[in-house]
Amino acid sequence: MEFDWTPEQLSFRATVRSFLAEHLPPNWETVAHGPASEVQSEFADVFCRKLAEAGLLVPHWPARWGGRDADAWTAFILAEEMWMAGEPRGGQYMNVNWIGPTLMRFGSEEQQQRYIPPMAGGATIWCQGFSEPEAGSDLASLRTRADRHGSNYRINGQKIWTSYAGYADTCFLLARTSPGKNGISIFLIPMETPGITVRQIPSVIGEGDIHEVFFDEVEVPGTAMLGAEGQAWEITRTALSLERVGIPRFALASLMLHRAVDRLKKAGRYGGGAIEQSARAHAACESARLYSYNIIDQRVRGIATGPEASAARVATVSAERLVGEFVVEHCPEALAGGEPMLQAHHQRAIVAGIASGAAEIQLNLIATELLKLPREPR
Amino acid sequence: MDFTLTSDQTALTDAIDRIAQQFDAKPTDFHGFALSGAALEHQLTEGEYFDIALIPEFGPLTAALAVERLARSAFAAEAALSMLVRPQLPGEWPRPVAVVESGRPGRFVATAKTLIVIDGERISLARPSPGDVEAVESLYAYPMGRLVGSPALTKLSAADAANVRKWMRVALAAEAAGLIQAAIDSTVEHLSIRKQFGRPLGTFQALRHRMAECAVLAGGVRLLARKAAFSGNDGDAALAALHAQDSGTRMAYEMHQMLGAMGMTLEHPLHLWTYRIKALLSELGGRGGQAQAVATHCFGKP
Ligand SMILES: Cc1cc2nc3c(=O)[nH]c(=O)nc-3n(C[C@H](O)[C@H](O)[C@H](O)COP(=O)(O)OP(=O)(O)OC[C@H]3O[C@@H](n4cnc5c(N)ncnc54)[C@H](O)[C@@H]3O)c2cc1C
Repeated sequence: MEFDWTPEQLSFRATVRSFLAEHLPPNWETVAHGPASEVQSEFADVFCRKLAEAGLLVPHWPARWGGRDADAWTAFILAEEMWMAGEPRGGQYMNVNWIGPTLMRFGSEEQQQRYIPPMAGGATIWCQGFSEPEAGSDLASLRTRADRHGSNYRINGQKIWTSYAGYADTCFLLARTSPGKNGISIFLIPMETPGITVRQIPSVIGEGDIHEVFFDEVEVPGTAMLGAEGQAWEITRTALSLERVGIPRFALASLMLHRAVDRLKKAGRYGGGAIEQSARAHAACESARLYSYNIIDQRVRGIATGPEASAARVATVSAERLVGEFVVEHCPEALAGGEPMLQAHHQRAIVAGIASGAAEIQLNLIATELLKLPREPR
Repeated sequence: MDFTLTSDQTALTDAIDRIAQQFDAKPTDFHGFALSGAALEHQLTEGEYFDIALIPEFGPLTAALAVERLARSAFAAEAALSMLVRPQLPGEWPRPVAVVESGRPGRFVATAKTLIVIDGERISLARPSPGDVEAVESLYAYPMGRLVGSPALTKLSAADAANVRKWMRVALAAEAAGLIQAAIDSTVEHLSIRKQFGRPLGTFQALRHRMAECAVLAGGVRLLARKAAFSGNDGDAALAALHAQDSGTRMAYEMHQMLGAMGMTLEHPLHLWTYRIKALLSELGGRGGQAQAVATHCFGKP
């Protein structure tokens, strides 16, 4: 057991940092006001191609798909640095983290040839069409239908909260092909297919982030299906286990906490309750960091991650919460134009307990799988 | 970054585990407050386990793992300060070690051979003679004692004092990690068996979520304590101690709440862990004290 980085890991982190220093524009922090805003999305399009050229977009992918078979630490160090910098990859982080790897594992040869190279080249954005107005935490109750018509499927229904849908080229869609949990299938659907309408939802979390996506008689070929009919549950479970510690939120939370404290010190406002609150928030960030590193360590060793991943999520949610509360109480100006990065962080942080599976659902999993408490009656 | 134990660490923690297992259960006929184990103490001394931090293959991290495991036993021995702080003291100081902070009673003070006497910023060491200390009755589930005499004090340099404070924080966090885990295990067992309204209490989400939150805190205390023991960094130690006292405070309330009246009895072992946790909550200035240390070591001086 040890908690140091290897020289290779340190040097990789330094490489990523200097790439960021070189390629982020000087006014980056003032434009970084939402991961899916117009400015940031346009920037991401150029930036990701450069990352790809520098071998820094998908280093952890197999060489066959443009990577260099680097381990999960490499991917996570990369993710930390990108997230701390305000995620200049925009929505493409999802390709890198889980959509690409899921296609490598479950995609047909044709799907892989069509979709993976543009991801590895930093030239495409995907969106994740899971949640629906009536199916949030209870995702298995989703209603969007995919009915077979000859060799095609016809899709009708609605998705909601879909991030990046405004700029996405392709949707990773869950739709119902028959009743029940095992009646859900995955479709890979170009967003330009006729019958798809995207509507942005104005939100407190920043421009362009969440959308409604309507599917009206959208006809797709059977070859658009990922895996077999009814295999969605199995595939998404694998995919989302990569996502559960996907975003190293603690890293930006910690950085912003330090920035807020520095701000207070400069203004002679760091004392009393602020000291205790900042210290507590810092401890929460470091706890979340170690929890997350523990999961990455398991991933590197090929150990299947269990309920510890849920614990890592919950620890992260509490870190985001404590940092957010600290800023609101002691640096209120941050949310009123005082410090754009602190505001941008706040906007991202408030979704930590909701996006990619609500915290309470993780608590249920921890109670059953980690503590082995008897299950709730259904 | 590597979260698996080395073979040396595994061998040692297995050995500690074999010893601790004999002392894990509270004797059914014991209905007192403080439960300490002379036999446990003896076995640890015989095996020279109190000095493992000084052995290069083990070091303070392995000592912290041992402290964590021993804290889960119903019988308590003075292990945390001996294993993690004593190796840091300048010169040869015998164990058991105890802390007297601002003249207050402390655990194992009545039987200690070395006292760490804390008065504000000043830390001194003392070898008390039997008349200098006396046992006190308490709720804390450790044998508590206080300093009544005036043994000769050896004042530590500022650097040594800072180092002792740091390792006291690591010791506190490692011990709290074990105590908190034991309290959770004991509560989970109860929630799985005890039925009300026709179902085990553990099926009620209001309790499940609180338990799960506590489990997350417990894991955080464990990870932070281990990291601090590994790095020997002042900031890491302060963060670990703060998270331990913060989580311990919540845990001591939550676990008793989940047990209902059963948790109030001396028959059920829960109080052994919760009241030991409570004994640690006031150390080194409590949460406010740890927060100041975090502010100094992690955020720089204001
Ligand atoms: C910023 C953001 C981006 C998102 N991006 C996407 C995306 O790209 N694609 C996508 O498909 N979805 C996306 N989502 C949706 C996200 O996956 C859902 O919000 C999430 O699954 C929760 O569903 P819900 O919002 O409907 O909340 P609900 O399920 O209605 O839950 C509301 C509250 O009730 C609690 N609750 C629900 N069920 C239980 C239960 N059984 N026990 C205890 N408590 C319960 C929840 O924990 C929560 O606190 C995004 C969400 C956000 C905030």
